[in-house]
Amino acid sequence: MINYFATKMERQIQQLRESAATMISAASDLKELDNVRVKILGKKGDLTGLLRGMSQLSAEERPKIGKIANEARAQIEQLIADKNAELKAKDLQNKLASEKIDVTLPGRKIHCGHLHPLTLTLNRVKEIFIQMGYSVEEGPEVETDYFNFEALNLPKDHPARDTQDSFYITNEILLRTQTSPVQARTMQKNPPNTPIRMIAPGRVYRRDDYDASHAPMFTQIEGLVIDKGITFADLKGTLDFFCKQFFGENTQIRLRPSFFPFTEPSTEIDVSCPICHGKGDCKVCHGSGWLEILGAGEVHPDVLKMSGYDSNAVSGFAFGMGVERLTMIKYAIDDLRLFFENDVRFLNQF
Amino acid sequence: MQVSTKWLKDFIEIDCTADELAEKFTMAGIAVENVIHAGAGLEKVVTGKVSEIVKHPDSDHMFICQMDLGAGELIQIVTGAQNVKAGDIVPVAMVGANLPCGKKIAKGKLRGVVSNGMLCSADELKIEGDSSGIYILPADTPIGVPAAEVLGLDDDILEFELTANRGDCFSVFGLIREAAVLLNKTPHFPEIKVTEDAGKKAADMIEIKIDAPDLCSRFSARVLTDVKLGPSPEWLQKRLEGAGIRAINNVVDVTNFVMIELGQPMHAYDYDEIVGKVLNARRSVVGEQLHTLDDSNRLAKGDELVIADAEKAAGLAGVMGGFETEITEKTKTVVLEAAAFNAASIRRTSRAVGLHSEASGRFERGVNEKATVIALDRAAQLLQEMGACKVCKGIVDIYPNPKSAVKVQFTTKQINDRLGTNYSDKEIIDVLKSLGFDISDIGAQMDAEQAIDRISTAAKHFGKIAKNIAQAGLTKTFDKLIDSSGVKEFIAYEATVPDWRNDVTIMEDLSEEIARIYGYDKIPATLPKGSQQGRQSKTQNFTDKIKNILAALGLNEEISFAFTSVETFDKLQIPADSELRRAVPIMNPYENPLLRTNLIGSILENAARNLSRKNEDVRLFEIAPVFFPKALPITEQPREVLKLAGLIMGRRDPKGWSQNSAEVDFYDAKGIVEELFAQLSILNYTVEAGAHYALHPGKTAIFKKGREILATVGEVHPAVAESFGIGKKIYIFEADIETLIKCTAKKFAFENLPKYPAITRDLAILVDRDVSAGEIEKVIAKYAGNDFKSVTLFDVYTGDRISADKKSLAFTIKFQSSERTLKDEEADAAFKDILNSVRKIFNAELRA
Repeated sequence: MINYFATKMERQIQQLRESAATMISAASDLKELDNVRVKILGKKGDLTGLLRGMSQLSAEERPKIGKIANEARAQIEQLIADKNAELKAKDLQNKLASEKIDVTLPGRKIHCGHLHPLTLTLNRVKEIFIQMGYSVEEGPEVETDYFNFEALNLPKDHPARDTQDSFYITNEILLRTQTSPVQARTMQKNPPNTPIRMIAPGRVYRRDDYDASHAPMFTQIEGLVIDKGITFADLKGTLDFFCKQFFGENTQIRLRPSFFPFTEPSTEIDVSCPICHGKGDCKVCHGSGWLEILGAGEVHPDVLKMSGYDSNAVSGFAFGMGVERLTMIKYAIDDLRLFFENDVRFLNQF
Repeated sequence: MQVSTKWLKDFIEIDCTADELAEKFTMAGIAVENVIHAGAGLEKVVTGKVSEIVKHPDSDHMFICQMDLGAGELIQIVTGAQNVKAGDIVPVAMVGANLPCGKKIAKGKLRGVVSNGMLCSADELKIEGDSSGIYILPADTPIGVPAAEVLGLDDDILEFELTANRGDCFSVFGLIREAAVLLNKTPHFPEIKVTEDAGKKAADMIEIKIDAPDLCSRFSARVLTDVKLGPSPEWLQKRLEGAGIRAINNVVDVTNFVMIELGQPMHAYDYDEIVGKVLNARRSVVGEQLHTLDDSNRLAKGDELVIADAEKAAGLAGVMGGFETEITEKTKTVVLEAAAFNAASIRRTSRAVGLHSEASGRFERGVNEKATVIALDRAAQLLQEMGACKVCKGIVDIYPNPKSAVKVQFTTKQINDRLGTNYSDKEIIDVLKSLGFDISDIGAQMDAEQAIDRISTAAKHFGKIAKNIAQAGLTKTFDKLIDSSGVKEFIAYEATVPDWRNDVTIMEDLSEEIARIYGYDKIPATLPKGSQQGRQSKTQNFTDKIKNILAALGLNEEISFAFTSVETFDKLQIPADSELRRAVPIMNPYENPLLRTNLIGSILENAARNLSRKNEDVRLFEIAPVFFPKALPITEQPREVLKLAGLIMGRRDPKGWSQNSAEVDFYDAKGIVEELFAQLSILNYTVEAGAHYALHPGKTAIFKKGREILATVGEVHPAVAESFGIGKKIYIFEADIETLIKCTAKKFAFENLPKYPAITRDLAILVDRDVSAGEIEKVIAKYAGNDFKSVTLFDVYTGDRISADKKSLAFTIKFQSSERTLKDEEADAAFKDILNSVRKIFNAELRA
């Protein structure tokens, strides 16, 4: 009898285990699985009900059947846990699948502001020269004839004045035609022969027709270095360094002799075309491979003397370049007017 | 200045191409702007003789020619021309020719007959001549030679863009002198020799006077008799044509020729028309009639230099000749003038008259006053060789203060120190000598100052005592010491500047000669010794910072011209008595005649331009100076004040498939200013309603700190917007940069993160519509007790659910202590105080 109960119970547990496995495997979602769990393992579940019959077992058989029952419970729990994980993963997968979006739709746009391309150029130029130890100086845009011309060795009736058609306010006051007056102003505010390394960026004005390459107002950067023993070779080395920094390491410069009343010797500086690298058929350099970007030279002794510096004690070099020109070359812009029309479709590109 | 290479080749061997020569000139500072190849496209065109011509069997208008191109073998060419016959010599384009007219010649068949080239018309060669048929060359033309040679097109024109200092290069001789150095060749200048065969003495026929010696330093003249006026010989006409000058008659052409050749402008007078037989270089009299050769009457201003006879001015010196004394067919006797006029005076006159001639351009750069007599001789010689005149004895030459040669002292050390080079004495002297400088060694004749300098520098070789002795004046002893020391660099030289080089006066000028002849490419590239601290000013840094902040806030930087006009002031509705209308006027404006006093006008113009181009979302700012006169009319430089202006219009968010399409409003503009101020550490300011000429009276806010106005923000007045052609709502702000700098917190105070939690209470109240939220916030802050942290307005409601004269405002008030966790009761107590005060002050009702 006793043996019969034990054997029957063992069989029932085995059956329960098998039917549980079938039900668990058949559960199609977490809820169903939970129902299976309650049905089999719950307080009123099948296994609990089965184990109530334990009381009918002998003392020797009870632990044996108890062990079998516990093993069965553990197995079923494991099956439920596995199934649970499987269903959860499936659920997540379904959820993710249902959340699919069209990733090709454009991202939400943001109003981004942009610095003007001329400011970007100016900032880069300032950065290069500040790291070389230059200070950034300024001067008034409405200048006196003295600072704009005479202190730069350009007396009245000098033919070189012809190339700088000026906007006059009075006979002695004008809109500066160049940033060079900042040279004389900087020298004159210093004690004589004080070493100088400066650049002076700013707007300048010339009475030119407004077209693709001329504007009545544009931007220049003046540079001046004065110290003991500053040579023309120093000028060349400095501007070679600048051009390589600004246009790229492979950039070459070419110096052509020129004439400016405020420098001697004077030079114009061309830079190898950064667009075509001199390989021709280029809309920027027109195939010449060179682009004129700078006027420069060793400071004329008269300019030093007029501003209280002793040309026997110190020497220096000066240079001037157009910010528009640098920017047009750098970005291959072919019409200067784009800078001053301020069309947001243009400004947004920088 | 332009000149043909053939002209140069008359005097010097040129063994490179015109392009190479141009490059050499340019790299030596004699800039060639352009090279025109006259014979371009004629490379494969030769002269050929029609040896045989027969009708084309399958065409009624074509002929088959057998052409003799001088190579023995005949070449068959089919032509459609009707004017060719056997024996004619014509230009023949051979296979491969790429003609100036654009035609490319290839081997081909015309109606089945092989044709190996083309007979050319004048038009196809782009030369002058009858274009109705083939260009027939003279019968004595050699066969098989390049057509360009026969047509005189084997020439290249160099167009120079000369700098203002090199007047000497405005002449063939000047260019030859340069070319000789650059090509290392010896030039062969023509022999200038005149046979004075007229019998009469020039001095007996004409008197020359200089009443204005400051404007005319030399006036030389020759008299030519038995003048036979006529066209110049072809060679001379060709030369002038190459130089861009039209041939007129032999006398005028020769004066022009000599001007181009020697650089000395000349003028020819009809002797018989000179009243009193006197030519006087004098100042004009105010109001004096000047009848110039363009047959116009000009009124003299009183300081022009004129050449006058006994009665009247016979021309504006150096600019334009006089009408009466012009050379005409009746001219029998000629006075040739070669003078040196003051450069500045000529420049003033030619600008005033608006006439820039070949002559005035040369005078403006300065002519070689030593060469006037040479020019006269050269002109007389040429006319005489043409058989066009006889030459009177002597030159009438008034030269009151002959210029002495310019001498420049230098040492090679000075030159090398300036250039950063290491040229030897010989290298430097060789270049200067090749350019015509005389160099003498004056090492022993140095003046005391230079000697002391020399010896001081040499002191390192001799010890300190040398300097002391040197300064004591014992220079001679030390000269010997230096000489024996072999310190070569201290030898001083004196360069005598050739009379044609008026641009060289100091050692620095010599340094440029050395550098440009050896080539700027030979100068080493070094960096200055020593170092300095790079820096920007506070204002520059601040301005850069504002630009970066505003760009980060979504605004684009614009740059606009500094010019404005009264019309713009009107459009902006600037009141008549406003300081903003007192603008600086420009004497010679380009378009707008005033300097701007505000940035609003230009920023609105830019917005309008964008709008007209269908750019609807516009967000701009600009930082630039505006100008205020210290007095009107202007007596001194105006005040320049750095201003900031910003503008927004259009959508708040960019247009997109899932973006809000709401338009910006006043509070977007205000928010930009608030965020800018926060980032600039501009704190504790107040905002109040205000007025601004260009803004909506009910939508204008003034940001203030004490008495300082930090910024004005508002909606542009619809009438103002409309006057700029803007039909949309548009918001702007403006500020003064220096004021912003002044009001920036001096120290940046970092605030630690809170250790204890905050308590918040929401306050929703109904108040009268005209009560400003800002005032309520101030009261809340004032009565909120010690633990008050912040107040944020989070809702504003007006509408149907409340009475029409009321608005509902909802604030979140935050309490927090840095020392402990606050209790709810503490917040409740503070909240009660706040509620009582807003009830009392604003008659506020608590909303449920």
